[in-house]
Amino acid sequence: MTGMDSSAAAPSDPREPRGADPRTDPAGTGDPAPGAQGTPAHPHRSGRPGEPLVVLEGVQKHFGDLHVLRDIDLTVGAGEVVVVIGPSGSGKSTLCRAINRLETIESGTITVDGRPLPAEGKALAALRADVGMVFQSFNLFAHKTILDNVTLGPIKVRGVGKTEARERAMALLDRVGVAHQASKYPAQLSGGQQQRVAIARSLAMDPKVMLFDEPTSALDPEMINEVLDVMTSLADSGMTMIVVTHEMGFARRAADRVVFMADGQIVEQAAPEEFFTHPRSERARDFLGKILTH
Amino acid sequence: MGEVFANYDVFGAFFMTIRLAVLSAIGSLLLGTVLAVFRMSPVGLVRGIGAAYVNVVRNTPLTLITVFTMLGAHSNLGIRVADPASPTSVVDTAFRWGVIALTVYHAAFVCEALRSGVNTVPVGQAEAARSIGLTFAQNLRHVILPQAFRGAIVPLGNTLIALTKNTTVVAVIGVAEIAYLTAEVMENDPGLIVWLFLVVALGFVVLTLPVGLATTHFGRKLAVAR
Amino acid sequence: MSAPVQLFDAPGPRGRAQQRVAAVVLALLAAVVLAAILWKLGERGNLTAAKWAPLVSPVVWRSYIVPGLINTLYAAAISIVLAGVLGLLLGVGRLSQLAPVRWVCATFVEFFRAVPVLVMMLLSFWGYLALDAVPGAYLPLAGTVTGLTLYNACVIAELIRSGVHGLPKGQAEAGLSVGLTPGQTLRSIQLPQALTAMLPALVGQLVVILKDTALGYQITYAELLRQGERIGSAYGNIVLALIVVAVLFIVLNYSLTSLAQWIEQRLSRRGRVAGGAQAADPTLGVDADPVAAGPAPGPGAGPGRG
Ligand SMILES: Nc1ncnc2c1ncn2[C@@H]1O[C@H](COP(=O)(O)OP(=O)(O)OP(=O)(O)O)[C@@H](O)[C@H]1O
Ligand SMILES: [Mg+2]
Repeated sequence: MTGMDSSAAAPSDPREPRGADPRTDPAGTGDPAPGAQGTPAHPHRSGRPGEPLVVLEGVQKHFGDLHVLRDIDLTVGAGEVVVVIGPSGSGKSTLCRAINRLETIESGTITVDGRPLPAEGKALAALRADVGMVFQSFNLFAHKTILDNVTLGPIKVRGVGKTEARERAMALLDRVGVAHQASKYPAQLSGGQQQRVAIARSLAMDPKVMLFDEPTSALDPEMINEVLDVMTSLADSGMTMIVVTHEMGFARRAADRVVFMADGQIVEQAAPEEFFTHPRSERARDFLGKILTH
Repeated sequence: MGEVFANYDVFGAFFMTIRLAVLSAIGSLLLGTVLAVFRMSPVGLVRGIGAAYVNVVRNTPLTLITVFTMLGAHSNLGIRVADPASPTSVVDTAFRWGVIALTVYHAAFVCEALRSGVNTVPVGQAEAARSIGLTFAQNLRHVILPQAFRGAIVPLGNTLIALTKNTTVVAVIGVAEIAYLTAEVMENDPGLIVWLFLVVALGFVVLTLPVGLATTHFGRKLAVAR
Repeated sequence: MSAPVQLFDAPGPRGRAQQRVAAVVLALLAAVVLAAILWKLGERGNLTAAKWAPLVSPVVWRSYIVPGLINTLYAAAISIVLAGVLGLLLGVGRLSQLAPVRWVCATFVEFFRAVPVLVMMLLSFWGYLALDAVPGAYLPLAGTVTGLTLYNACVIAELIRSGVHGLPKGQAEAGLSVGLTPGQTLRSIQLPQALTAMLPALVGQLVVILKDTALGYQITYAELLRQGERIGSAYGNIVLALIVVAVLFIVLNYSLTSLAQWIEQRLSRRGRVAGGAQAADPTLGVDADPVAAGPAPGPGAGPGRG
């Protein structure tokens, strides 16, 4: 597995021009490392490669007495793939959901592509259209066919024509390998297929960034890889991704940076290899000791 | 059985039952929808008003509400629902108060049926809709309501069946429907009891069975597989 | 009353302002409606001490309200017992191995369920009178109880049937596999579990029966509503008397509903019934108010008569 990352140095690799090198930017302030830019546009419309796309500063959130997000600072550059890991209850989902305001925050700021998160209304809807979200439980619209699940957003939100939306959706479904199921209903598909449709549904909106909240943890083991494969190829195509997952293989293979959270704080962040082989904090060593022995 | 039909206006009585049922079904669907919106509002006070209505009304006997319309609202408070000068004033007054009482009572149950429909929709559906950028109205229109409606078909059907049978209660204010006819027949010809029972039972089976069959059928057919 | 209303997105500043405006407008509207009602009541002379006095006088309570309350509870109690027995017989009959027994019970249930309770009361009241089957003083009670019993027995029979059908198949199979006959399996394994599972729905049905005793008003049974009306005509304060009666009904039924919920919670916590506690998928959480959430409406918990 470790061999995968060596290719990242190859100049032709689309991931090469990613943002701030996390190794030189452990605080995650996101200042792009000089000279990190270069190679031309990739297929996704995130800001210029390397520029900060999602920026969280001083984010605080409580659930009652529980302090779930403590002063979170995080910068994700355009084209970057960030994996968030940490023990259960550490606030990973809350962090992920805060970025498209499925959870509100009490203080601090979140900006996406330079614009602060709108608080409500059409502006919020427009922002969410630009931020894809993939849920642990898929959440496909149960009363709509697979095809309609994917075309609903483009037609209603982006105003794309029906025929065009359909063609686009079929292409995306083909890309995630479920085109032949297009006329079925979600309940007729396996979990892995549903999750791939959910990814296609998000992609249909041409998002600037995609959020994944434990996309494979509701899946049977034999279906995990088919979803991870789709996510890996998405990462390779230059999509900006924030992925909450415990799939270490995926983190090693596809992530530029691993963010480790515990008790609502970002305890440490580093490149995957470095994090897994030399975790700096006691909490991270402890956590890795528990999950890696499994 | 012929005697029942020959001497009494059975069809007239059933027609009155149908008129009461149709009008109060429409009324309670409208009022019940408003109440359901109230009960699901983000504003605490609005929710409170909806909850208070439902809890007061569904714990009060329909007979009491009906008696109140006539003895309280009409006689004591002098609220008029029909032109006193019209020749049909007495009949109209009873009929209209009957529809009002039935509407007020069943709106509480319609509200709960609609709410139980909304409760069949998992939270994730609304969140997914938000995440792809649907606005609140689009979310309701394309994701929540279509699913909630399917979940509400069966409870709404049950409410409609109950409403149809409950129309008999307004006999208490002199609306000439089936219960009124029953009392009239029994007073005059108690010997017709068995025939009368069969006529009424068959009549209500004919009125309610299709509703039950249809709601079960569509409830199943349109059910959202999860 | 907390507000986890997920139908709506968490509001922003504009949303909160709109909500405040909505709250104020509605509060004003409610105040206006309330004032109008009070004004109307006052205009018709309902708000004088003279009209209220009888309703707090011990004499009126002793001679009208308490007897009415007792009669209401009395008819409801007799009916629930009789309906329970008859319902159990019908329910078991519908599960019988003998096809003719099943058909007879099914026909009985379908017919008596279709007929409105009030019509059953009228038929039995006048029927008893014509046959001289019941002493005159007991006619209204007999009519009321007959109507309530026949209808609610059918509801209970359906509850039992769906309760037994709702049990996991493994329960019956386990019974048969240890050598019990189908009848023994039904009696000692399926019925006890089904009865426990339907307990909340049964208590919920009590609310329906209690409300439906008010139908006895129409065959002159001296239950609570009839007594309220008598107060009204004796003291000329019908509106106030009906309000008092309504409050009594609401308090009674509300307590019963709460009891049903309490039982249901205890049952599901103890997991007494196989397959009884289903994993709750979080749904659009509009049940901010625990009271109205109510037990899952069984066949009987719909809008009762009354
Ligand atoms: N809506 C809520 N109300 C109250 N507490 C909540 C809510 N959502 C989450 N929490 C609590 O906040 C904490 C953080 O939750 P979060 O879901 O973000 O954790 P997580 O890191 O994603 O955990 P997991 O790995 O189990 O998914 C947990 O203790 C959780 O119980
Ligand atoms: Mg989580």
